[in-house]
Amino acid sequence: MIVTSLLTASVVWCLFYGRLPSPALGALCAALGIVLALLGRHAHGGVLTVDQIALKSRFGAVNAGLKTFGCVALILLASLSRSVLAPSVLFLLMSLLTAAGGVRWHDYLRMLSLPASFLLLSGLALLFEWSAAPSGVLNLRFFGGWLTVTAAAQAKAALVLAKALGAVSCLYFLSLSTPMSGIIRALRRAHVPAVVVELMVLIYRYLFLLLEMHGAMRDAAESRLGYSSFSLSVRTTGNLYANLFVRSFQRANACFDAMESRCYSGEIRFLETEKPVTLPQGLAAAALFLLILAAVLSGGVLPV
Amino acid sequence: MSSWTKNERQFVVFTAVFAGFILATPQAFAMHIMEGYLPVTHSILWSVISLPFLAAGIVSIRRTIRDRRKALILLAMSGAFVFVISSLKIPSVTGSCSHMTGTGLAAILFGPAAVSVLGIIVLLFQAILLAHGGITTLGANTFSMAIAGPFLSWAVYLLCKKLGVNRKAGIFLAAMLGDLFTYCVTSLQLSLAYPSESGGIAASAVKFLGVFAPTQLPLAVIEGILTVVMVIGMETYAKPELREIGFLREGVK
Repeated sequence: MIVTSLLTASVVWCLFYGRLPSPALGALCAALGIVLALLGRHAHGGVLTVDQIALKSRFGAVNAGLKTFGCVALILLASLSRSVLAPSVLFLLMSLLTAAGGVRWHDYLRMLSLPASFLLLSGLALLFEWSAAPSGVLNLRFFGGWLTVTAAAQAKAALVLAKALGAVSCLYFLSLSTPMSGIIRALRRAHVPAVVVELMVLIYRYLFLLLEMHGAMRDAAESRLGYSSFSLSVRTTGNLYANLFVRSFQRANACFDAMESRCYSGEIRFLETEKPVTLPQGLAAAALFLLILAAVLSGGVLPV
Repeated sequence: MSSWTKNERQFVVFTAVFAGFILATPQAFAMHIMEGYLPVTHSILWSVISLPFLAAGIVSIRRTIRDRRKALILLAMSGAFVFVISSLKIPSVTGSCSHMTGTGLAAILFGPAAVSVLGIIVLLFQAILLAHGGITTLGANTFSMAIAGPFLSWAVYLLCKKLGVNRKAGIFLAAMLGDLFTYCVTSLQLSLAYPSESGGIAASAVKFLGVFAPTQLPLAVIEGILTVVMVIGMETYAKPELREIGFLREGVK
């Protein structure tokens, strides 16, 4: 996490170098780095924290189809934008909306730091060019040539980062406000093949079985010093996964017997409760969409 | 250090930076392209490319299920298994957080056709439940992680078997090369989307390969070792279950 914060600070430095006065830029980088470093002190929660938050969300009663397809539409809009404005507005609005759903800021920021390593490493790749002469705003000597950051590369990287952040905030709103069952229902309504939907339902159900089984086995291995050295922990992990595989298949066989005895005919039917879209919800979604559309159009659309 | 030439000093500094990255990479997940990172045209393009593989997978799974109803349950359990092992921390040399991809193992166990469908479901779950990857980048991620990587793993595994290479070495190579291939394909996807100003796609690909190498190379090696331990463990304890999937694979093919 310390590394993520250092990386964030350096990428932000390169991104705005020559555009902001140095003291302000230094303060910004330091602040970002410190926030991330402090966040990193807290340990990981369980694997499925997101799912638990989604089940408690205040937006749980909103139609899942509206949330799913609305978020996808907003993500597409954000990726069409040519200016930093629209994705940034989207990011702010969606973050506020997610927080309004009952997500704590702390949890939200920690989730945002998850894709950070991808975003920052690829940001470095977008920023730096190798060239024979020091032609950019920031130049570093590198094996007889220069690693340069040009103004154009800064603009490109800023746009890509903003779009990714805007889109990620939509994805997080969706996953932090919609339980998986709602998303699966929306996909079934959208005529995703029945086999895929059934597989999704079963996989989601089995995740909990497997995670519980794995937790028990890991605790057992740990209390017997199974992770005391690196080579031992590799061996323990491998054997544990193999055992998890065996146990999961025994469990699958038991599940199948149970389903057979309840007249399973190769098709799973679900009881669904309707959650129709109410007028205020529809209006709010439309307003959000139009606002972002206007922001995108005002900044120009990327040529497709 | 004052008597060193400039190149010598640079060499030491850059290896130090590289070592720093390797020693302390924050989160080594497989390289999911994050939400909103690709231009819309690229997202659509990669989804379209993945479609035929998915269609073939769905058709074959449907056929298998018609013949053997139990196959659905086994496939679902396999999908959950791949998700779970990709979401758990694995031991790493440096104490940082690493996670398996599970693609190599899945390809060896279930064959590439089933893996494409399981893969897209697992990737969707990862995007929504673990915040790795995204919905619009699902097509691109499916291509690199559920189609390209598994196909290579499977081909390497079969090739090693045919050539009579040591079994453990074959499994290790299949899992490791599958991971590396996934990482190369992802870098290529990124560089196609964002070619370099001066050097075009090739230079951009080199840059992306370079910045992700410190996280992905150790991951591939550890994944290879773990997959060997797992497959050997399964062969010792899970013969009947493996035979059951063997059935599955014959059916899916």
